[in-house]
Order: sequence, then C-alpha cells, then structure tokens
Amino acid sequence: MSTYEEEHGLNDSDETGNHRNTERRELRNEFRELFQAYGSNNSRNGNNDNVILLQMLSELIPEDLQQEWFEQIDSKNRKSCSKEFIDSLPRIKANSIKDKNAECAICFCKFLEDKYPLVAELPHCGHRFDLECISVWLSKSDTCPLCRDSVLSHKTDIDVSKTEMEEDWGMYG
Amino acid sequence: MASLPKRIIKETERLISDPVPGITAEPHDDNLRYFNVTVEGPTQSPYENGIFKLELYLPDDYPMEAPKVRFLTKIYHPNIDRLGRICLDVLKTNWSPALQIRTVLLSIQALLASPNPNDPLANDVAEDWIKNEEAAKAKAREWTQLYAKKVDDN
Repeated sequence: MSTYEEEHGLNDSDETGNHRNTERRELRNEFRELFQAYGSNNSRNGNNDNVILLQMLSELIPEDLQQEWFEQIDSKNRKSCSKEFIDSLPRIKANSIKDKNAECAICFCKFLEDKYPLVAELPHCGHRFDLECISVWLSKSDTCPLCRDSVLSHKTDIDVSKTEMEEDWGMYG
Repeated sequence: MASLPKRIIKETERLISDPVPGITAEPHDDNLRYFNVTVEGPTQSPYENGIFKLELYLPDDYPMEAPKVRFLTKIYHPNIDRLGRICLDVLKTNWSPALQIRTVLLSIQALLASPNPNDPLANDVAEDWIKNEEAAKAKAREWTQLYAKKVDDN
C-alpha cells in the first residue's frame, strides 16, 4: 500500500512508519473493545455515551468490517460442549425407537433406515438425533437444535432446586 | 466439488413437492447450493403486492452453519441494509441445524410483516422508523411500488 509520503516523494523514516502502524492497530483494538462492550450490553441500562459514540464510529468504519467483528464476538460468546460430555450422551437402542418414520432433524434421515443406527438422546429434553450429527453440533453449541434447551445446564444435579424449576418453566412457556 | 449432502437433496425435493405459499426457491442448475428465491410481501404490510428477489447460499458447513441470505430487490426496511443483508437472529446466533431453507424464508417473510427498528444494527432506516413510523412505512410502500413490482418475468 502506498502512503501519502511515498506518493508525494517525501522521505519518511521507518521508525515513524512503524509507529503509525502501531497507532493504527491500537485504534482498531479500541474500536473492537467498544464493539464488544456494546455487543454484550443487552440490558441497555449501560452508558448512553457509548451508544452515541458507537453510532458515530459506525459511520466511519466500513460495514463489512463491522459485520466481521460482530461475528467474531458472537462466535466467542457461543458455548459448546466438551468431547467428554458428548461421548457420555445416552444411546438409544434401535428396538426402542417406536416410530418407524422418526428421523434425525439434522440430516433428515430416518433412524431405522440404518440397520445399526447410532442414536443419542439429549438429557432433560429427550430429543433424539444421530450421534454423528448431534456430536458435530454440540462441538459448536450447547443447545438442543429442536427446543434450544441448554443441554449443559441440567447436567450435574438431579436434586432440582426451586430456581432451576423456574428456569425450566420459562424455557417451555 | 464435494458431493451434495443428502439433507440438501431432500430439502430441495420437499421445497418443490410441497412449496410454501408466497415463497419460491429454485436451485441453480450449475450450483445446487445456490438458490434463486422470491418472497411475496405480506398482506397488510408496506410490502404488500411486492415480489422480492433474494439469493440464498448453503455454505459447506450447512446445516451446522446458517444459510447466507441476501435481498437482491431494493427494499426499505429497518433490518435490511443497502446491500440487502438481513439482520435476523436465526441467520446468526440463533441458528439451529433443525431449521431449514423453508423456515428461514418464512422467518424473513415474518420480518417483513413485523419490522424491528430497535435492533442494535446501525441503520438510518431504523432511525427513520423510530422517529416517524408512518412516514417510513409510506416510503417502504413507495419503494415496493418502484422496485418490487410483480411484472417481471425473470
């Protein structure tokens, strides 16, 4: 990329160039942090100045770049399940699948099309998927594809406290 | 090119055998992951009587990743930007592999029926919408007339 100085035949020492690059990088990082703060501020009770500043900044930053940052933030915030958790999912035996037409909501294939189907059932919500399909999904997410139930949130205890009961009501409400 | 997953073939077949009213989606002959889409503007919305063209692309990771959808027809809507990009949760964070082309397009049609100007995406249209909803809707109707007229045999 040619700079103003190069185009105009001005000699600029390397040091200044580097310094400028660093400055630019720092500025970008600051913008990114601001986006992050804004992105996580769902409750809107935060700082109004931030919102105004962000609106001004967003006029200056190319939309593609903004989009990219938002996506980065999203993917960072997304939870996923550990391999151990995925491996520990209960398997369903073929003869306990009663509906002949039951299919995996991820690949759209009937479970019983396969002679030896590997079907997993999610704890709590009980939705069933091909083990292979749900494994891939849970390696990027912690929600059930069908009901968005957070599969990890119920994992540990069977003793359900009152607060958890309330959460569940909300999920199915 | 990698072979087409069975799921995409099934979805395409079902879209043809059991089409969604007001919506068409046809795969390209030379790329079966790329769809030409039309969505009718919902009745009693500013987009009524308009036919909107969109493009839909199924990325390699589909259905683990959401389809990429974009409006090709110009539209005045608080959640759709100048480039036709759509701000819709199911296309981003709320994507689930149990969703389909069909459900995504229905969500987009629903977004036309109920715009959400409070979405955090920076957008002049959203501002107009909040400031003066009636004027914004009038402009949306005008754009529908101008750019999304039914007479188009493409």
